[in-house]
Amino acid sequence: MAIVKEAYKALEDVVGAAYLSDDPVICEGYRSGPAGYEAGLGYERVMTKIPGAVVMPKTTEEVQKIVKICNRYCVPYVPYSTGFYGPRSHCHMENELLVDLKRLNDFEFDEKHWYAVVGSGVVYSQFQEECLRRGGYVVIGGGGAQASVIANLIGDGWSPLSHRIGLPHRRILGTEMVLPDGEILRMGSLAVGDDWFWGDGIGPDLRGLLRGYTGLRGCLGIVTKMAVKVLPFQPERLQPKGISPNTALALPEKRVKWINYIMPSKETQVKAMYEIGKAEIAGAVTKVPLFWRAIAKAECKEEFWDIWLKETPETIANFHIVRVLLIGFTSEEQLEYDENVLNDIMMELGGQPRPTKPSDESWIKNADSAGMWLMCGSYVSVDYVIETLKQATEHGPVYAELKKKYTPPLMPDHGDPGWFQSFELGYQGYSEFLIYWDQDEDTTGVDHFYLETSKMNINHRFYTSLIGPHQPMYLTGPKYGPNYHEWMLKIKNEFDPLWTCHPPVPFAHDEFVERAPWMHELKTWETPKEFPYPQWVKERLAAEAATFRAGLKSEAKVKK
Amino acid sequence: MPTTKVNLETTDLSNYRYDMSRCIKCKGCYWVEHTYMPGVKFSTRCPSNVWNDFDSYGAFGKMRIGTALVEGKLDWTPKLLEIVYADPLCGACDVGCKRNLDLEIGLSLEAMRVKAVKDGAGPMPAHKKIAENIAATHNVFGSAHNDRKKWLTKDIQVAEKADVLYFVGCTASYTNNEIAQATAKILNATKTPFMLMPDEWCCGNTLQSVGMLDEARELAKRNIEMVKSTGAKTVLLSCAEGYRMWKVEYPKLLNIATADLPFTVVHLTEFADSALKQGSLRPTKPVNVRLTYHDSCSISRLADPWTPWSGERGWMGTVSPRLKRRRGTQGLYGQPRNVISSIPGVEFVEMIRARENAFCCGAGRGTKEAFPTLASSSAKHRLEEVKEIGAEVLVSACPWCKNNFAQAVKEDGNHVKVMDFSELVLASLDA
Repeated sequence: MAIVKEAYKALEDVVGAAYLSDDPVICEGYRSGPAGYEAGLGYERVMTKIPGAVVMPKTTEEVQKIVKICNRYCVPYVPYSTGFYGPRSHCHMENELLVDLKRLNDFEFDEKHWYAVVGSGVVYSQFQEECLRRGGYVVIGGGGAQASVIANLIGDGWSPLSHRIGLPHRRILGTEMVLPDGEILRMGSLAVGDDWFWGDGIGPDLRGLLRGYTGLRGCLGIVTKMAVKVLPFQPERLQPKGISPNTALALPEKRVKWINYIMPSKETQVKAMYEIGKAEIAGAVTKVPLFWRAIAKAECKEEFWDIWLKETPETIANFHIVRVLLIGFTSEEQLEYDENVLNDIMMELGGQPRPTKPSDESWIKNADSAGMWLMCGSYVSVDYVIETLKQATEHGPVYAELKKKYTPPLMPDHGDPGWFQSFELGYQGYSEFLIYWDQDEDTTGVDHFYLETSKMNINHRFYTSLIGPHQPMYLTGPKYGPNYHEWMLKIKNEFDPLWTCHPPVPFAHDEFVERAPWMHELKTWETPKEFPYPQWVKERLAAEAATFRAGLKSEAKVKK
Repeated sequence: MPTTKVNLETTDLSNYRYDMSRCIKCKGCYWVEHTYMPGVKFSTRCPSNVWNDFDSYGAFGKMRIGTALVEGKLDWTPKLLEIVYADPLCGACDVGCKRNLDLEIGLSLEAMRVKAVKDGAGPMPAHKKIAENIAATHNVFGSAHNDRKKWLTKDIQVAEKADVLYFVGCTASYTNNEIAQATAKILNATKTPFMLMPDEWCCGNTLQSVGMLDEARELAKRNIEMVKSTGAKTVLLSCAEGYRMWKVEYPKLLNIATADLPFTVVHLTEFADSALKQGSLRPTKPVNVRLTYHDSCSISRLADPWTPWSGERGWMGTVSPRLKRRRGTQGLYGQPRNVISSIPGVEFVEMIRARENAFCCGAGRGTKEAFPTLASSSAKHRLEEVKEIGAEVLVSACPWCKNNFAQAVKEDGNHVKVMDFSELVLASLDA
């Protein structure tokens, strides 16, 4: 069964035959796995489907028409900008329409008001280069230089540069969005005129609904254009050098400089971050997972393991690095001043500078998140917390402790407590915990770990980002709110009464736990007998779940 | 820990199962390397995926399709053949992927074509015609074999016996005589004695590129034996595709290393560079133009030497013995630029996408013959870049590039002059 014939014909009339296809080979190219962010895990295997068709609109008007057709014929659809965000940005139902947004690649830079309007198909490195050549910059989120600016900003949008540049939702200005029923929503000052400048507009600020903590993963419409704030940088060019894979941006040392410090203890490491924030210096202050350093040093996967397996839990526990990016935003003198202040702080705390290359390989423009897959082949960031530096530094070790139980299949990381850093000049602390495994192994342990972290967060009262559609809503909702899940449901029903937009998100993880027998032993929370979907969704999901169960049975038979 | 035996033979697509199944859709294969990203314009380096926007035309889509092929989930259809063959195999995806990961994307794509041929579905009809031509007349055009040396003019001195053997290739022999003549005259001007093959046949580029490995292997054996019989120490090429064949593909087809060849393989650009450094090449005549240089894929990112490898893949996908991945770092990037920059009067301006980030002209490896619209659109896309930087002349080091660009210029009424590297160098030499 494919997409309803009438719907297909109507879609073809909108975009033309060249930009719509239900050919099985075209659709196969849009498969979520077998690898990628969070791919190879149970969620990806159970919940993702090859699209029934793929459509590539060019304009907002075409997107509107497509969405209206989907509503008319009850065709589920998912917005897709680059497909990098793993299974959660791929089809979850059979015969779903994948709306590939890469052709919405308009870009307009307002040099007077210092913002740019970007389309969904524009990626970060493109945007950053446009900013850098004008003396500005943006944060390329941890998702990487290849991530869609819009998709990343409505989901994540932070990096070490968030020490100074502020949280992502503050950079979202006027925004144009096609709601799940096809109506246009213009947010911020765009709501009252042709002005993209303000993120705030009349009435409630809908940016909270648009992205919340980490977004709704495409289940609440399609953002087609967004004005993004650009921040002033410094005037000198950062020159690319080298031949791939050994490329970097050469930094003008009197204006931009990375310095690594080795601190005597965890306490001084955290104190340094606080003090740097208090002094209001630096463009980035971070401590990244130590295996990233090994990735940077290694020429290949095998060399990474040579380097990494020489480490021990002791060497990791006793290695306290603070990586600082200094930027002379206004002048060379500013950088000198910042460096003097930094040296004073480090002298007081016993921090020792280490030789640091006068180049940037990974944060200003490149942000090569793809390197995360070098070690094991599979990766997901299992959680992020933006709270205080104090909590950020407690969060990682708790995760590391739980992780021991699931290693293997998780990668031996010698207890590395993950990534933590200062946000907003130390007013906030960021913690991210990343896990790696080989997808060819039995990944049940990884599935279990992922879910157990949610329970652990609840027990430790960590204010985690992944309380939304990344975890079972009926597990996290009653604990955060206490009716967070009900609010999510009401919002979904209000904006998408037919649930055509990426069903069954935001309840997809609940659905996964129900379908996957290996997850049942972890289910310690209550769920309703039937999930509250509209009838057509309910029926189709029930049929798909039955097919999945039948598949498992026949697989088991074959094994016997 | 269980291990799997694996090697780099493209005759078995399942050798690349791991590589194909580890593609993460970062699209490093598609975008210009992010450090060099020039902004929203000219930001891609995949001709196939620019020609057709669906993900399936990018390497990230093809890796999924390749996995499905290995698992027997897809049947050959016209659409599948188009996706597999509408691709100049320019290597941009391969070096892009190896910026961060160690996946063998280029070899996976080649293995898909070999499978297409093995399964009786490939190659495309236009390729079959070329194969027939090669079998019948030893050249891709089906022209008379006797005409192969017609490009030779009286003022060119060819030695009976010499250390250097100039392998002219089908294109320079038949359709682009100016390249063969210029190359020969440069050799003469530098006082480098050279000989020709007693009986030159096609290098087999199209056959190898479209997956007809048996036929390509026979040519490789024959050509290598013939060079051996001449006693030449160096095989010199002015064609990028031919250079790649001799340096990389012949060893690959014969399961030997490039270093095992009984002669060295050099391209005119590297010969000219070393002649310049040694003082035998003296470009003294001014060439007063603003020009740019297009890196032909087969002498740049596809040119790393070949070393056979077989071993085991084990824990976390690591391989043993250690595999030195070909990342396109040993291409001829600096050599042509050194020579061009030494020519008086030349105002050299780089393309926005250069070296390993260059956007392929779209003609090579069987693409122009089977998918002329892809070749044409790629060339026109690249010419937009030439226009953007305001160059009057576009220089490349491969007849395939030259012809494809020249045709696009003609179709568009563009005023850019297209030249081969050999012609430019010759123009800078005093008579």
